[in-house]
Amino acid sequence: MADISKFARRKNLFWFRKMKLNLFGVKSNSLFKKTLAIFGLMLTPIFLLAADDVVAAPTEFNPMAWDWSSILTLVLAILIILVIARSFDIGSLTEKITGKTIVSWNNVNAWAGIIFLVLGLIGVWYEMKVHGKYLKLGDSASAHGETLDSMFYWTFGFTFFVFVITEVLLFYFMYKYKYDKNRKAAYFFHNNKLEIIWTIVPAIVLTFLVLRGFSTWTKITTDIDKNSEEIEVFGYQFGWKARYAGDDKQMGTANFNFISGSNPLGVAEDSAVSSLVQELNGEIVKLEAVKAAIEDSSKLWKAQYDRYVSTGMSSSYPEEFKIMKSKYNDLISGAYERQLEKDIKRKNTAIKRILAYQKDHETFNGTAKDDKITTEIVIVKNKPYILKFRARDVIHSAYIPEFRVQMNCVPGMPTSFAFTPIRTTAEARATKNDPEFDYYLFCNKICGAAHYNMKIKITVVGSEEEYKTWLATQTPFVAPPAAPAAPTAPKADSTAVKQGTVVKN
Amino acid sequence: MSTAALHAEHDSHHHDHKESFISKYVFSMDHKMISRQFLITGIIMGIIGMGMSLLFRLQLAWPDEQFGILETLLGKWGKDGKIDPNFYMGLVTIHGTIMVFYVLTAGLSGTFSNLLIPLQVGARDMASPFMNMLSYWFFFMSSVVLLISIFVETGPASAGWTVYPPLSALEKAMPGSGMGMTLWLVAIALFIVSSLLGGINYISTVLNMRTKGMSMNRMPLTIWAFFFTAILGVLSFPVLLGAALFLIFDRSFGTSFYLSDIYLEGVGALENIGGSPVLYQHLFWFLGHPEVYIILMPALGITSEVISTNARKPIFGYTAMVISLMGIAILSFIVWGHHMFITGMNPFLGSVFMILTLIIAVPSAVKAFNYLATLWKGNLRFTPAMLFSIGLVSFFISGGLTGIYLGNAAMDIQLHDSYFVVAHFHLVMGSAAIFGMFAGIYHWFPKMFGRMMNNTLGYFHFWFTFISAYLVFFPMHFMGLAGVPRRYYQFTLLKEFDVWMDVNKLITVAAIIGGIAQLFFLWNFFYSIFKGKKSTQNPWESNTLEWSTPVEHLHGNWPGEIPTVYRGPHEYSRPDRELDYFPQYLPDETAPVTAPQEGEQTAPTEVVPEKTVESSVFFAAIKRVFGLS
Repeated sequence: MADISKFARRKNLFWFRKMKLNLFGVKSNSLFKKTLAIFGLMLTPIFLLAADDVVAAPTEFNPMAWDWSSILTLVLAILIILVIARSFDIGSLTEKITGKTIVSWNNVNAWAGIIFLVLGLIGVWYEMKVHGKYLKLGDSASAHGETLDSMFYWTFGFTFFVFVITEVLLFYFMYKYKYDKNRKAAYFFHNNKLEIIWTIVPAIVLTFLVLRGFSTWTKITTDIDKNSEEIEVFGYQFGWKARYAGDDKQMGTANFNFISGSNPLGVAEDSAVSSLVQELNGEIVKLEAVKAAIEDSSKLWKAQYDRYVSTGMSSSYPEEFKIMKSKYNDLISGAYERQLEKDIKRKNTAIKRILAYQKDHETFNGTAKDDKITTEIVIVKNKPYILKFRARDVIHSAYIPEFRVQMNCVPGMPTSFAFTPIRTTAEARATKNDPEFDYYLFCNKICGAAHYNMKIKITVVGSEEEYKTWLATQTPFVAPPAAPAAPTAPKADSTAVKQGTVVKN
Repeated sequence: MSTAALHAEHDSHHHDHKESFISKYVFSMDHKMISRQFLITGIIMGIIGMGMSLLFRLQLAWPDEQFGILETLLGKWGKDGKIDPNFYMGLVTIHGTIMVFYVLTAGLSGTFSNLLIPLQVGARDMASPFMNMLSYWFFFMSSVVLLISIFVETGPASAGWTVYPPLSALEKAMPGSGMGMTLWLVAIALFIVSSLLGGINYISTVLNMRTKGMSMNRMPLTIWAFFFTAILGVLSFPVLLGAALFLIFDRSFGTSFYLSDIYLEGVGALENIGGSPVLYQHLFWFLGHPEVYIILMPALGITSEVISTNARKPIFGYTAMVISLMGIAILSFIVWGHHMFITGMNPFLGSVFMILTLIIAVPSAVKAFNYLATLWKGNLRFTPAMLFSIGLVSFFISGGLTGIYLGNAAMDIQLHDSYFVVAHFHLVMGSAAIFGMFAGIYHWFPKMFGRMMNNTLGYFHFWFTFISAYLVFFPMHFMGLAGVPRRYYQFTLLKEFDVWMDVNKLITVAAIIGGIAQLFFLWNFFYSIFKGKKSTQNPWESNTLEWSTPVEHLHGNWPGEIPTVYRGPHEYSRPDRELDYFPQYLPDETAPVTAPQEGEQTAPTEVVPEKTVESSVFFAAIKRVFGLS
């Protein structure tokens, strides 16, 4: 790289300094126009990129419909501020003219610091008094939550102490050492002893906190009871589902390729998966038909488009025309066809993958048949659980504040969290004095428009019997043998399905 | 570069000495003008970012209310006077992006690194003024692209400012992941280019263009802070570019860096297999955590300088301050995992990151104590800049302490992504850094524009902002401890959070007051640029080199020779001096001018401030960094 500046100067690369503008036939030397033109040139590619998507006017231009009162209030507020601002100028002008100090701002600020400190500490105390009881401290509904809470109290004790001391010192110094022209500040640069103390002391305290945190964290994440009961928690846009192992106590395998309308969790159950393959084949046939007829439909859309343009309907129905135009453009540019091909390819891949899985007896071991998919979670007090998390589409996070449980649900990466509930819903209702209280699992990772309403109820019951009664009311994935089994598509017209069943048999 | 050489060349090219409008105000290569450009762009972006936060605060406080003005302002996104949930996400995302990158990275470090590095180390300009100009214009383009993305039909990027895939990678996952997300990525790519161009420049200027006698240990703490900030940026931003490129590939070219095992409603099972969304998070936070310090360190540097000047007292523990800055800078590269404790990464890795994270508390504590010790027995002048610096220290303490909770993996299980996190980072890096920025603006306004800002308005600005910032963010700790998740559009569907409605209202009212308080500042700032009281050369009676330059700006900064530096920057209230300050550039009356003490004689021969060639300086910097020379 040569010396850029020099090079630029020599080669006269600062063309824009001398540039004569000839834009739209108007010759101009105006600096303003030159600047505008340069901005325009730089931004053109981006405008082009976004052109179709940028909304020109969000609503129709109709000043009558505007909320004038709010606008006026806003304008008025701004005006008032500006007037106040000007009046301060006048204040300082009078000070200058009269030569007298009206307000000693240095003292005012020093005092204001003290007032702020006192009011602030009162505010902290008041907030603690009003909302302290809602804080999730000390009434953990899970066993590990209690160690976590004690960790919290240790940290709180330490940090609150430091917080009060340092903030008090800060504002006290602000008051104590306010400017005095008869005084000179102390002249010193450092004090090794003091500095060593305030490096070592926090270091020791933090070592203590780190060690404690380390043991708490390790205990929570690795000390897992081998007899824990597994529950699968499945997050999707926008809701949760749970899966229990059913009578055989074995959770069936699951795979995102098997997900369909009737199999929301994608469990490896033969009949459901086979009918999914059938469904996919049907969709492929439909898409192929659409693709074959693409020329005819282009003609139809073109005729429609021309009709809109020729009759002037394009201006009277702008919304419809816009949609039609984009469809028509997709058709003639081939974007629509490419999209169809992509869809077909994706569906074919899905079928291929499913068939490959169906040959695998470990995946389709029949344990999924009696799995129970539920829309709420019921657990038993004092029994260890391990929640296995899966996500269907994007990252979700299973958050149960009452249990001090949180773990992300990541597509393609199974995660889990082990815990033991120690307080039933009924007990929590009694202590909280709220007969309608329920535990909930929330979503705590931004996942889309309805993120704020993604929850599933958790009920902690006191005894195994209650749990079993509840579980009995839940239907297994495939109805038990007593009931007629779902038809497994014996006369499947697609070869793919035939292959699948042959392998299975 | 030497003024004489520059002007000679300048004059030979232009018959009149006057620079044209464009070369002076638009494509300027003068670091002072570029810093003003950064500042004003940053302020405009700040207004937009803050306006957005007020919009979503309205939604959180009065979720059932209808505000006609929202429909006027937002059109289809504010139908019936209520913000659309998708647009709410967009607001949250763009607010975060603007504040983190555009205001507190470019607006803060771009402004003050550009203004102060040449002025405080005694250089005519940056090592490469041309790269410096490019840095601003890439930033400008990036801002424009980001602002365009707000007006896209499908809405701006809405996956949170961290834009985690798969949400941000799949167009069908949410409307904002369409064109809005593409523009977001373009904007960030441009921003990274800008940041790198700037950062390389800052580093080479600090290393190579210091004036005679300005050894590294005589640099003001601002320069140290900008120096470490630039190093962090140069090392970490490229990683974000990599992360963004992979995301672009995943979005547009069918790769699977971040995608695996996905079934999308209305689409079906996707083909992508083998990627990992967690990979993105690792790459993102490898930038994201240093980014926090890229934001905070310049503010800390500015505060050190302002507090020392206005306390009329040497900064306490200069060496300790530099070492703790360095410690924070190094540690910031190995703690990114604390943003990911609950992503399902190996728990052992979590404990390693926890230990490293909590170590950062030690240098941070040292800094806070040193600020207090500097105030102790000082003679405090409460200029607005001083007040904002004290405000920063207060925020730095109260926000920093909650970092000890969040850095602890065990407690993070409960607090992750709750309002506690929002409170923590808005205090420690949001409010603290913006206060540092305000302190810098009030303090160096006379240097930037040759005029003074109105102090009284500054006081009102400070107290309103300070109080409202605490009122906004302090109650959020309580909400977080009660398990209220962040980024929720409303809480009315969850009965459990009803008790927080009044707190939400309080926060919104405080935020509106805080927003209105900024009008004091805006008025003061823009009015004073044109009509403010004319500044004297050294209005704060400060020691540092920038106050030896004339009030009227000059290309090349000093009319004559660049002054020589004789001592450290913090010689305030020296007992043997009558005045309570002793500028760096004044020779010691007792000692002969030509013989500085303590081996400083090596500095002039090493530095060669008369050098005219920019790129050779740049290469010398690189050589020096890698120990080649």
